[in-house]
Amino acid sequence: MTEVLTLKNVTKSFRQKTAVNNISFSISKGEVVAILGPNGAGKTTTISMILGLLRPTEGEVKLFNRQPQEKQVREKIGTMLQEVSVMPGLKVREILELIRSYYPHPLPVKDLVNLTGLTEEDLKTRAEKLSGGQKRRLSFALALAGNPELIIFDEPTVGMDITSRKRFWQTVRTFAAQGKTIIFSTHYLQEADDAADRILLFKDGAIAADGAPAQIKARIAKPSVSFTAAPDISLEPLYHHSEIDDIYRKNNRVYVQSSNTDRVLELLFQEKLGARDIQIERGKLEEAFEELTSTTKEAI
Amino acid sequence: MRVFQVQCKMEIIRVLRNRYFVFWSLMMPILFYYIFTNVVNTHPQDEGAWQAHYLMSMTVFSVMGSSIMTLGIRMVQERAQGWSTFMRITPLSDSVYFAAQMAGQSVIHILSITVIFIAGALINNISLSAVEWVMSGLWILLGSLPFLAIGTLIGLMRKVETAAGVSNVLYMVLAVSGGLWMPIEVMPKVMQTIAQWLPSYHFGSGAWEIASGHAPEWKNILLLVAYLVLFMLLSKYIRRKQEAV
Ligand SMILES: Nc1ncnc2c1ncn2[C@@H]1O[C@H](COP(=O)(O)OP(=O)(O)O)[C@@H](O)[C@H]1O
Ligand SMILES: [Mg+2]
Repeated sequence: MTEVLTLKNVTKSFRQKTAVNNISFSISKGEVVAILGPNGAGKTTTISMILGLLRPTEGEVKLFNRQPQEKQVREKIGTMLQEVSVMPGLKVREILELIRSYYPHPLPVKDLVNLTGLTEEDLKTRAEKLSGGQKRRLSFALALAGNPELIIFDEPTVGMDITSRKRFWQTVRTFAAQGKTIIFSTHYLQEADDAADRILLFKDGAIAADGAPAQIKARIAKPSVSFTAAPDISLEPLYHHSEIDDIYRKNNRVYVQSSNTDRVLELLFQEKLGARDIQIERGKLEEAFEELTSTTKEAI
Repeated sequence: MRVFQVQCKMEIIRVLRNRYFVFWSLMMPILFYYIFTNVVNTHPQDEGAWQAHYLMSMTVFSVMGSSIMTLGIRMVQERAQGWSTFMRITPLSDSVYFAAQMAGQSVIHILSITVIFIAGALINNISLSAVEWVMSGLWILLGSLPFLAIGTLIGLMRKVETAAGVSNVLYMVLAVSGGLWMPIEVMPKVMQTIAQWLPSYHFGSGAWEIASGHAPEWKNILLLVAYLVLFMLLSKYIRRKQEAV
């Protein structure tokens, strides 16, 4: 498989803060990759370095085996930044024509309209008069204008209504089916799960996990066994078993987290903890993810 | 080349759609011109010479304004709204972008000069020779360079409001003290001395010389070139300092 993007030991430090800390990964042609992580995890900083807007403090970013700033790279990528911006004073059609003129093989305006849900009316509107949703659509169209091989979106669906969101993902899937590479960032696990075939889980500027959504989910959302036990019972014996990942008390119940719940049950009886009212709980993904998120907040 | 043309065209469209431009750079100078040559009687010794002189003043006033204001404020606006960031990701090179903006500005200036010249000629039936019309037009076009450089300096500011405020004040101060609203001969001695060192005075002075049948003085050219170099260096220096952060 051909590699479209490679990051090698990339670090970005701002004056006091290390926003991205020694990350490495590569993405092959045709992959749809989600950069998933809570606010402040370093998603935008990473994307800015990929786009050549920020220079890494250390490490190396390569697109199509070239530097991000090279013209040959720019001709092959399309992007929608977190902060949507449009050129004031021009009508939507004029902006599309202008940006299309920069690329060797642009998509026809008609296609851009169909793909993004811009209307004929929108085309005649001046950019500064567009609503937030229309601006998003224009910005989406600008990302696709050059018929890019690699498309990068930073939190693309923030501020989109449900219809636009649906249409957006539909278009993304169409492009993915054509063998284009797509990278997008999000802080919604659900979105990453639905749209991507690979998730890079960011936490505190580092990659906490990298894999298919199913793998990631299995990793962050572990099933657990919960039970009630007399308060004076020591849970000490359970700590010695490596199959158990975590033990905590919540609402008068003891929770034992492990991917192997059968083994936990076995241990409960073996250690004679006098457990009553035993329940097996499937891992709650959103909860697990939120937990991950909250630790990041504390770290700031 | 096509990229450059499209870019230029769009730059021009944007300026022409800007109401401030149409008001400040076309309507105001023509209105002033009408008032100070027809309504208010300034009792000039030579009516024809004064009318030609003041037409040059107003054209210089117009072109100086769009050089300082239009370009600078737009640069700040584009940066503040993130458009310049987006442009950096497109394959358009910085130099083509800059060149297209300058070319677009020049076309706008040619348009302003032509419109105001025609308006002035019609209002007061001014009789300059064809060479004088063309030379004074060219002088104003080229003399705008130091002011475009001021525009790029203004363009380095972070807030649109600051940029608009500063450029407005600078524009008015340069215009008045450079003798574009009224000749510096009627001003106090101190003002006359100061004017000798202002780019706006020398910008106007070259045009006045041509309109009265002379060539611009060397001093006019020298000072404008010096200011151009100064502003360009300053702009380069500030940009480097901003990038370092
Ligand atoms: N220009 C900057 N100067 C200082 N700190 C920054 C800058 N940009 C981002 N940061 C910090 O780096 C961290 C990562 O930010 P960012 O990449 O925007 O996260 P995300 O996009 O995942 O929300 C944050 O803590 C943020 O405050
Ligand atoms: Mg972000």
